[in-house]
Order: sequence, then structure tokens, then C-alpha cells
Amino acid sequence: MAYRMSVQAEAQVDDLGFGFGAMACDCEVRIAGLKRRDAEPLAREAIAEVQRIESKFSRYREASVVSRINAAAGSGRPVDVDVETADLLDFAAQLHASSGGLFDITSGMLRQAWDFKQKRRPTHGQLELLLPRVGWDKLRWQRLGAGQAGRIELPLPGMELDFGGFGKEYAADRAATLLQARGVRHGMVNLGGDIRLIGPRPGGQPWVLGVQHPREAQALAARIALADGALATSGDYERFFEQDGVRYCHILDPRSGWPVSHWQSVSVVAPACLAAGALTTIAMLMQGDALDFLRAQNVGFLAIDAQGGVHRHELD
Amino acid sequence: MAKNHSLGTLALAAMALPGVWHASARAENAPGQGLVGLKFLNYQDSQPGWKRITVNSPSFLLAAPLGRDWGVEATATVDHVSGATPRYHSNVSGASTMQDERKAGDVKVTRYFSRASVSLGGAYSTEHDYLSRAFSLAGTLSSDDNNTTWNAGFGHAGDKIDPTDGGETGSIRDQRKRTNDFILGVTQAVTGDDLVQANLTHSRSTGYLDDPYKALDARPSERRQTALLLRWNHHFAGDGSTLRTGYRAYNDSWQVKASTLQLEWVKPVGGGVSLTPLLRYYTQSAASFYADPVYDTTLGEPYPAGWTAGASNSLDQRLSAFGAFTLGLKIEWAIDDLWTADLKGEAYQQRGEWRAGGEGSKGLEPFKARMLQVGLSRKF
Repeated sequence: MAYRMSVQAEAQVDDLGFGFGAMACDCEVRIAGLKRRDAEPLAREAIAEVQRIESKFSRYREASVVSRINAAAGSGRPVDVDVETADLLDFAAQLHASSGGLFDITSGMLRQAWDFKQKRRPTHGQLELLLPRVGWDKLRWQRLGAGQAGRIELPLPGMELDFGGFGKEYAADRAATLLQARGVRHGMVNLGGDIRLIGPRPGGQPWVLGVQHPREAQALAARIALADGALATSGDYERFFEQDGVRYCHILDPRSGWPVSHWQSVSVVAPACLAAGALTTIAMLMQGDALDFLRAQNVGFLAIDAQGGVHRHELD
Repeated sequence: MAKNHSLGTLALAAMALPGVWHASARAENAPGQGLVGLKFLNYQDSQPGWKRITVNSPSFLLAAPLGRDWGVEATATVDHVSGATPRYHSNVSGASTMQDERKAGDVKVTRYFSRASVSLGGAYSTEHDYLSRAFSLAGTLSSDDNNTTWNAGFGHAGDKIDPTDGGETGSIRDQRKRTNDFILGVTQAVTGDDLVQANLTHSRSTGYLDDPYKALDARPSERRQTALLLRWNHHFAGDGSTLRTGYRAYNDSWQVKASTLQLEWVKPVGGGVSLTPLLRYYTQSAASFYADPVYDTTLGEPYPAGWTAGASNSLDQRLSAFGAFTLGLKIEWAIDDLWTADLKGEAYQQRGEWRAGGEGSKGLEPFKARMLQVGLSRKF
């Protein structure tokens, strides 16, 4: 898959980068300030955690929890899920509520109507067939309480969950936190441009993270200095096609099934990558209301509007 | 991220997911959020047939970050104590009634470094017949991998005792007591779910150590106490509960040897509510100079058999040989991101025959106490 990393981190001589492929993108665990002998087993452990999350939550893996839930859609049989899955589902419910229904993990199937490779818009009536099966409020999600397992049921045949909106970011957080727990102080986990820092550079200075220019493949739109926390970016340039001068990107409004067009890209800085990633997606979907929403969440952001204008907030 | 306190709900919700944010490894960080709390405690003890002491005590606590590297914690307490305290043993008729108010406050300032912290604390407590001033200095140091934390501390307290009407004998005035405490400990994360801790404490008190309101109370003017506390906390990833276990071995220069075994299980039950049942067993041997309630036939009560003027002597039930059980339950409710309410109840009972590893003191009434505490706190 042709994929451009939206963020490039500045290389350092004493860094060790461990590259790997996961979740359909180029990934890297970078550990600084440790000898290769010590860093390598730790990196392997972090990569294994990313792979664990991918095989557990990818809808492309038949044995995954998400595939199990999707396979039972419309069967009338609820699916029991473990605590980790339940935590993520609760988080998805919170994202749905806080975004006025825009962030919806049942909306991924709308992409069936869009073929970005063949540059084809939905045929007449195609979206109308799909939209009735989209909506977090249509599924049944039950949980006894915090720290407990849960039970989910997709009542309509063809309904689908997709953790693509935060699975990668969650994996970046888990891998980075695991390395912190193992005593790693300097480095980062970069999953296709969704970056969670383990800690600053060995001298305590921040890393300088470059944000991909949304219109020029070889250029950076900005540089962001960051010592801890996470940076994630959503953009209209990852999968798109243009027709009659209109750009159709892969970020679809769950209410209409049509692509958003207000922002070329939104990058968010937050303590956890999970939050940064979800907030960039919500911001893309909120279109004109995005900046007020991000300010209310009190996170740093860099948003590039349709005309290429840059909006920066609380970034050093 | 120095400005976590102002993050929006979604950013905070993401950090709350297990494994997303490494809270424990950041133990040396200054508190990111402040906390104010109010607690109200009601304590009552009793022996068969009558209630003795009642304590009603509201307290106020505050913890706040001061910039990125400093933190301050403070508490203020006012106790209203009323009731009766026996003059000797568990004797009822000779009890002296009391009414008192205690005002206490302490403050601790901590400076956080990347792998270490240093705290300086001060405390002040006053009753109409008692004044206590204390300070403490403590530090922690973590290993490079953050899995091991060492701690050490020193404390000094100076007390002034000036009992009402000169106390039991009518002649006790302006007495002093000094205590020095030392603590040394290590905490080790064995696995991601297991934490073990060992703490060794030693303290030496000198000066007036008697109970001024107890008859014939004459204790040695020095007490050296040593205790070893071992703890093991295990987190169950399956249901999110935590089992806290602890064992404490204690002995002192008054020949009191004691052991404590404690089990606590923090169980989240949903809706932000967690239940924590507690079981504690405590047992001790008697102080070498404790005298059983067998009274001298010539001198009569409360003079114990074989009493010699000038020798150390005590009829205080707390220095007898006994065993005691505490049963407790705490209900904690995280109402939302900011507010937390809790309710805690404990029932305590002490009996001579419950002592382990030897005979308990005889002839004492069982002693019971119960404690109820309600609290409300808010982060800011």
C-alpha cells in the first residue's frame, strides 16, 4: 500500500530506530540513550504489543474481537467482550456523545460506496442503502461498570464496527507506556505518523516533529517541538480522488456519507495519542466548528484550512 | 505536559484507559491536579454496658501543585472529644469524665526531581492540656528503570504535657516528651501487577511517657520502638480489583512485642463505585511493668499485688496482652471526573483471650470501638 508518513521525526546519531509494518502503515519504535543490546529486546516487546492490538481489533482479521462482533450482526446474539475491548467501546461511546454523533465507529462501512482507487462516487441510492445501518445509537452496548467486561449486539444485518479511528493510536500509547514501564526514558513510538513520545531526547531537549504538507508530498507544513505527549494528524490527502475540481477524501460524515472538505489537515498535540488521534478525526468532521471544539478540549493544534491557511494554537 | 489539569474530558478519558498513561512510573512527578477534601469522623469506644469516649472530628485537606516541580499538602483537623476514660484497667466507677477539643494542622512541601523527591513537613497540635510540635524530612530515590524506589526519612516531635488540675496525682505540670523517628524503606515493582514494599522504622522517645490521668501510672522515661512493615499489593487485570496485604512486626524496650496482619481488597463494582472490605488482626504481649487487675489485699484497689513505690507500673489496658480484630468496609464513589465521595466504617474489638503466641491478660472487659467517616473531595 502506498502510504506517506505524515510526520517525520528528526534523526539523531545516538537513536536506534526499529522499523516494522503494522496496521497497513510504516511504523517505528525509536529508543534513544540505550545500547543496542538493551534496546533491541525492549523494542521487540513493544512491537509485539502493537501486533497484539492489531490482531485483536483489526476488522481484517477473522479471529479478531471486531470480526466476531461484526459476524454476529443481525443474528440476535449479543457478543461478550473482555475488559480491554469494553474500555475502548466506552471510550467510543464518549467520543460519539462529545462529538454530537460525528465520531461513530459504525460509520466505516460507508466507504463501501466510495471507490478511491477507481475514483468513483456512490451510485444513485447506494448511500441510502447503507445509512440506515450506521449509528452508534442503534447498537446495544451494555457494561456492568468500570473495570468490568461487557456485551455488545449489532441488531441489524450488515452493521459493522471499525476501530480504525483509534486502534493505531491506542497501540502507540500502549507500546510507549510499556517501554516507560521498562525504564526507557527517551524515544517514541511512531505508527504511520501517529506518534507517542516515551520521553525527550537524552539531553532533555524536545524532539522536533515535522508535519506533512497536505498538498506537497516532499514538503513539511510545520515543525513542532515536543518533549512528551503525543501528536496525531488527520488529512484529506491520505486517500482521495478529484473529479470536476472537487476533492473527495476518505473522511466521511456519518450523517450523509459524504466526505468533509473544510480542512486539508488537522494535527493535535495531547498527552495520549489515543486522544490526539480521536480529536483530529472529530475536528475534520466538525468542519467550521472544529477550532472552538479543540480549544475547549484545551489541546494544542495545527489546522490547515481548505485555502492553505495555517491555524496554530498552544504549540511552542 | 504541565497543563493536564485543564485538559478536556476526552483527553482525560483517553489517559484513563489501562496501559495508555504510565501513572506509576511518574511517581516522582509533582501532582498534576490539586485536591480539596472535607472529612467527618465519628469515633466511639465502649466496654460492656457503657459508652466511653466519643470523638467528632471534621478535617480539611488540601494538596496542590506549585508550578511544575513543587507540591504542597496540608490538613487541618478539629476533634471534639467527650466522655469518660477509666482511671485504671477497665474500671468504670472511678472513671474521670472529660471534654476536650483538639486542634491540629500539618503542612508538607515537596520538591520533585526527575528521579527523586525531598519533602519537608511540619505539624502542630494542641489540646488544653497538651501541645505537640513536629517536623519531618524525607526523601525518595528511584532506579533508572523506575521499578525500585528507596525512601528514607527523619522526624522529630517535641510535646508539652500540662494536665488539668495536675492530673491523677494533682502534681503533674509542664512535662516534656521528645521523640525522634527514623524510617528506611524500599518499594519494588516485581511485575506490572505486583508491588512489594519493606519499611523499617525506629523511634526513641524520652521524657514524660506516663498517662497523667491514670492511677499509679509510672512508666520508664525512655521507649525505643522498632517495626518492620512488609506489604504486597496485587492487581487483578481480569476484574480490575486490587488485593493489599500487609504484615507488621513490632517490638519495643518495654517488652511489648506485636504483630499485625492486614488484608484489604479494592473491588470496582461499576458505576464508578468501588468497595474495599478490610480485615485486620493485631496481637501484642504486655509491657514488662503492666500489672494485672489483681489488687493488693492490704492497700486495696487499684494497687496491684506486689506494688512497690518508685518502680515502673501501669494499669493501662493498652499495655496489656491482647488480640484484636478490625472489620471494615469502605465505599468510594467517583461521581464524575472531579468529585469523589467516600464512606468508611470500622468495627474494632480487643480481648485478652484473642492474643496469639501466649496467654492474654486476664480480668479485663473486652474493649470495643467503632469508627465512621464520610468524606467528599474535589479535584481542581
